[in-house]
Amino acid sequence: MSQINRREFVKVIAVASSAAALSIPLSACAGPGTKRAASGGAKARVVVIGGGYGGATAAKYVKMLDAAIDVTLIEPNAVYTSCPLSNEVISGHRDIKTIQIGYDGLKKRGVNVLQDFVVGVDRAKKVVTTKGGKKLEYDTLVMSPGIEFHYNNIDGYSEAVTTDIPHAWKAGEQTLLLKKQLMAMPDGGKFVIVVPKGPFRCPPGPYERASLAANYFQHSGKKKSKVIILDANDSHSKKGLFTQAWGKMYGWEKDGMGTNSMIEWVAGSQGGNVNKLDAKSKTVSSDFVDMKGDVLNIIPAHKAGKIAVDSGLVGTKGNHFEMGWCKVDPMTMASAEDPNIYTIGDSCVAGEMALYGNPNANFDMPKSAHIAMTQAKVAAAAIVAKLNGLPTPQPYYANTCYSVVGDEYGFSVAHQYRVENGTFKYIKEGSGVSPMVMPDKSPVPALYRKLEAEYADGWLRNVMADAFV
Amino acid sequence: MRYKLLIAMAAFGLVATSAQANDPIAGLANTCNNCHGTGGVSVGHSMPSIAGLSETYLKHILMEWKSGARASANMTRLIAGYTDAEIAALAKYYSKLPWTPVVQSVSADLIAKGKDVTDRCETCHGVTGGKPDDEETPRLNGQWAKYLELEMLKYRDPGFQMTHKKMIRNAQKMEQGDVETAAKYYGAQSK
Repeated sequence: MSQINRREFVKVIAVASSAAALSIPLSACAGPGTKRAASGGAKARVVVIGGGYGGATAAKYVKMLDAAIDVTLIEPNAVYTSCPLSNEVISGHRDIKTIQIGYDGLKKRGVNVLQDFVVGVDRAKKVVTTKGGKKLEYDTLVMSPGIEFHYNNIDGYSEAVTTDIPHAWKAGEQTLLLKKQLMAMPDGGKFVIVVPKGPFRCPPGPYERASLAANYFQHSGKKKSKVIILDANDSHSKKGLFTQAWGKMYGWEKDGMGTNSMIEWVAGSQGGNVNKLDAKSKTVSSDFVDMKGDVLNIIPAHKAGKIAVDSGLVGTKGNHFEMGWCKVDPMTMASAEDPNIYTIGDSCVAGEMALYGNPNANFDMPKSAHIAMTQAKVAAAAIVAKLNGLPTPQPYYANTCYSVVGDEYGFSVAHQYRVENGTFKYIKEGSGVSPMVMPDKSPVPALYRKLEAEYADGWLRNVMADAFV
Repeated sequence: MRYKLLIAMAAFGLVATSAQANDPIAGLANTCNNCHGTGGVSVGHSMPSIAGLSETYLKHILMEWKSGARASANMTRLIAGYTDAEIAALAKYYSKLPWTPVVQSVSADLIAKGKDVTDRCETCHGVTGGKPDDEETPRLNGQWAKYLELEMLKYRDPGFQMTHKKMIRNAQKMEQGDVETAAKYYGAQSK
């Protein structure tokens, strides 16, 4: 229980209120460009599709920046389960309750939360239709539907088999299913993770999952077990840091082919590109490899959420980084297809899309919760400015992504982007991964890794609160 | 209860207005708030609240990270992408927000012991950490204990490049077992 008593509480609030009143002008609300809603007393209506990190943040920040705007968030689930750090649930390091949060915080802020599923967007009439039969008019729409899985890259794979062969790439029941299977796996078993061709949500996720599974095996008398990653790509996020950590903790040697390696990584060109599944025997195959898993985890390929596709907001040509994803105006996150719709989060394309394996791989804007939130904040500021007849604000984009890979062992990558001449610019000076060695080539002190493992937890608590509370 | 306080803080005090939608420093600060909490008030135990710290302290530490003089596991990489002017504006922005202690309850015994082991800290940070001696010294009252403990580990590790000589000297003089006690003592202080 807190030691804050009522008197102190009131005092803090009073100080905070006066500070805000002094420093922030309360004007500039009803400029000539102000749009009025067709009905009701609200200044304008903003509808947000999708209550993940991106959508929740957008709803909260629009409401925070202008309480006179009517904001409605539409999300089918009553409780959100965070994908970030869900690998710690799978490995038994964290209870799933610590990564779950509801929508009461947003409701308290005055956001209307509608538990429903959007089935259609009429862009001409600016109306959203839900499965529950509701029709909502909007002045501005925020599209944050996340990803849609595509199972057809692998013969024999389908949504139906995910009840036995989990993807655990949308957190919740699937996370617990994979955990249950790993816990039941006997010592000496094989845990096979199949990684689709990029771009995919959470670029370091599969390798963090492999690390934490190996950690679980070590701590639970299953040291003879192996994790095998069959990867459609030829390189991966934070590769140097992951393999260094695997060498320190999980016997990684000779590129994972050594007999003591608990983790093996098979690149796409070496047979990691899985194209066939025999669900009954839990065997996956590529052109070169057949692999039977005691526990099999296939991460399906994915593209922008179906509602974004159905609404005509995704690219229909270009390479696989462009096709099937929403293209945006970097200044505002507005859709390239519709100035009244803002597309944010995992469903959108942002940044100069580079392929892993390319020396410039860090140039792309990753599909992470953190970047979705900074995109949401850019969109919220742009929406509020536009609805109030103010000039377009300067956008700032940043990403931080922690990976926890063992006991007191974490690392991160940071990205920073600005917009110059209407295009994204990757800011190299404000980006990069945790060090592999110190500048004088000496080993990185263990404290660095411990700190980043601790920061991962602090980051999680703050992003969950910054988005949902 | 403390979470309710934070919500109330945000609802009453830190509510921005539409004009802030167009404030570039507010926009930049929004990216910091992902990790440091809405309005710079953290709810993550390992992450510090930054709202209401002094402008001098914030600017100094951010510039030391930018130059590389001071080590950090993560901030050195992030901050190097910002201009000196942006860093100065961020320091000013957060210093104008109210300092919001998040009081973390501990036993009366720990308070007594904590008071004892923080004798050496008092000269600069004040008895409770809430009234630092000068603008270059951060407030500690109601800062997250976990964060303070991790900071102390940095000062106590010779391999971790910290810059404040007096702080390094004093941190390294502390008994191992007293570090957590000191951190929890400050975390429990309301003012």
